[in-house]
Amino acid sequence: MNRLLPILLVLFLAGCGTVRKMESGSHTIGERLAVSIDGSWNHLDFPGIKPAQVWTMEGIAVDELLIYSGIKDGQMMHAEGSAGGKQQNFVFRSTMQTEAIVAMLEGVMSRDNSVFKLTRLEPYRFGGRQGFRFEYEHIRKVDNVQLLGVGFGAVDRGELFALIYHAPRLTFFPRHRAQVEAMAKAAVIR
Amino acid sequence: MKRRQVLAAGAACCASLLARSAGAQAMHYAAPERFGRPDIASDEGGLWALMDREEKGLRRSPLVLRDEKLKNYVQDIACRLGSEHCPDIRVYLVRTPLFNASMAPNGMMQVWTGLLLRMENEAQLAAVLGHEIGHYLQRHSVERLRDIRSKSAFGQVLSLFGLIGAVGQIAVAASAYAYGREHEHEADRIGAVLMHRAGYDVAEAAKVWNNLLKEVRAREGKEPEQTAPLFASHPAPPERRDILGQIAAAMPGGSRGDDAYRRHVAAHLDEWLQDEVKRGQYAESLALISRQIGSGFAPGLMSYYRGEVYRLRAEPGDQDLALADYRLAAQMPDPPAVAFRGIGLICRQQGQNGEAVQGFRRYLELAPAAPDAAFIQSYLAELGS
Ligand SMILES: [Zn+2]
Repeated sequence: MNRLLPILLVLFLAGCGTVRKMESGSHTIGERLAVSIDGSWNHLDFPGIKPAQVWTMEGIAVDELLIYSGIKDGQMMHAEGSAGGKQQNFVFRSTMQTEAIVAMLEGVMSRDNSVFKLTRLEPYRFGGRQGFRFEYEHIRKVDNVQLLGVGFGAVDRGELFALIYHAPRLTFFPRHRAQVEAMAKAAVIR
Repeated sequence: MKRRQVLAAGAACCASLLARSAGAQAMHYAAPERFGRPDIASDEGGLWALMDREEKGLRRSPLVLRDEKLKNYVQDIACRLGSEHCPDIRVYLVRTPLFNASMAPNGMMQVWTGLLLRMENEAQLAAVLGHEIGHYLQRHSVERLRDIRSKSAFGQVLSLFGLIGAVGQIAVAASAYAYGREHEHEADRIGAVLMHRAGYDVAEAAKVWNNLLKEVRAREGKEPEQTAPLFASHPAPPERRDILGQIAAAMPGGSRGDDAYRRHVAAHLDEWLQDEVKRGQYAESLALISRQIGSGFAPGLMSYYRGEVYRLRAEPGDQDLALADYRLAAQMPDPPAVAFRGIGLICRQQGQNGEAVQGFRRYLELAPAAPDAAFIQSYLAELGS
């Protein structure tokens, strides 16, 4: 999570974070989301990252795949205070309409004062449920890098499931986009 | 407590005298001559070098606004305030939705868009720029650097980062520290006289603080000092507002520049309001937007965004408030297309399908290439239209 970048780097340097290789094949995220991947991702784990899982292809602070699995009504979308303690907390509500969910995700990704611009929102079947797909441009405040992103999501039995990927716009986003699209297409909510 | 009471009593008794003397003192302010580049081996030289490096990065930053007209407008205001220091002041407008401005000792001045969104007129912007120029003219950041370096905490910072980049680390840490009260009050006084000399109404300086105070108070349970970055490093807003009010009374007259300001920022308001709403600080945003609507600033667009704040806050009654604002925006001449989408979204949620369809259709007519057009089409299909 880019807003954690400085803390994250320190944690990794200090050896508090772990990186686990995710090999090709099927993986269950949380209790009810299954994804299958082709090629190896790195699963980053460090304190204060929940409830999302963060994966990366190119490495920490370059690209990131955020995976939300089974976020419940009233649950916070990020660790409390993870953007420095002065930012608004964003909470998922199962009554949210799609626009409100996407606005909430925009808010989560702008908590570090990064710029977020939605460029597309359309219906999408995600995990076998009626959901949504969105595209966006993102300027990361901490290092001023311009990113492109794509996200997929659906609400099932009042819980939110979503995959969100962003990467620097010139090389890395075009390189990994197809893989993320394929992953979203094959995702299953059980 | 006792001391504070005595001070308060003194302030009450001598308010007019104080104001006159504060005003008179400010009127006699003589700016120093233009600064030359300090020796690179000195602490001040190190600070400049660091700021030069930051400025180099800033020039390439995608967060810096590329609107030359607006940039020149703000630069011109800074120049009128800084007068002979004008050639040394370089303004950068940075897209960040918080109330903040800063000026580095090398002349780099950053103004964030969250600040621009909060100004009602040119005089208010001049008040903030004048204040920052006041810090610059008195070289407060260099004093702050020396003050902090003399404190023991710095031994730790030095040992953390080693000797390489020591000056840089000190400067970075220093900039995170507050200016002292005296520095702040001095910068306010100098800012006021620069404003007055440049022909601005100094009373607007007090309004900046009053407005911000209202906004922060709207957010329950938070002290002003804990929110906007500018508050973190500045004396309490009520005190500043009151002292600036006294100074203004001694320097009457001047212009506000409502129209000029609004004309120059008009093209950006939509984007800045989007950024503001994304902060999720609904109470603050409502205070800000309602204030700007009250001052007659872009009421159509502002009403739409107030509707967005209500819709996203989603507390009981907010749907109706949102709908009322969307309708208000939709009735304006040249209404924002998104106002009709807002009407559609709320009406769909409330089961008023006819009006929802009407709103969505009008939205797509006005903005056929909208990013969410495909999603809105799916709503229309769902509503059997
Ligand atoms: Zn100041």
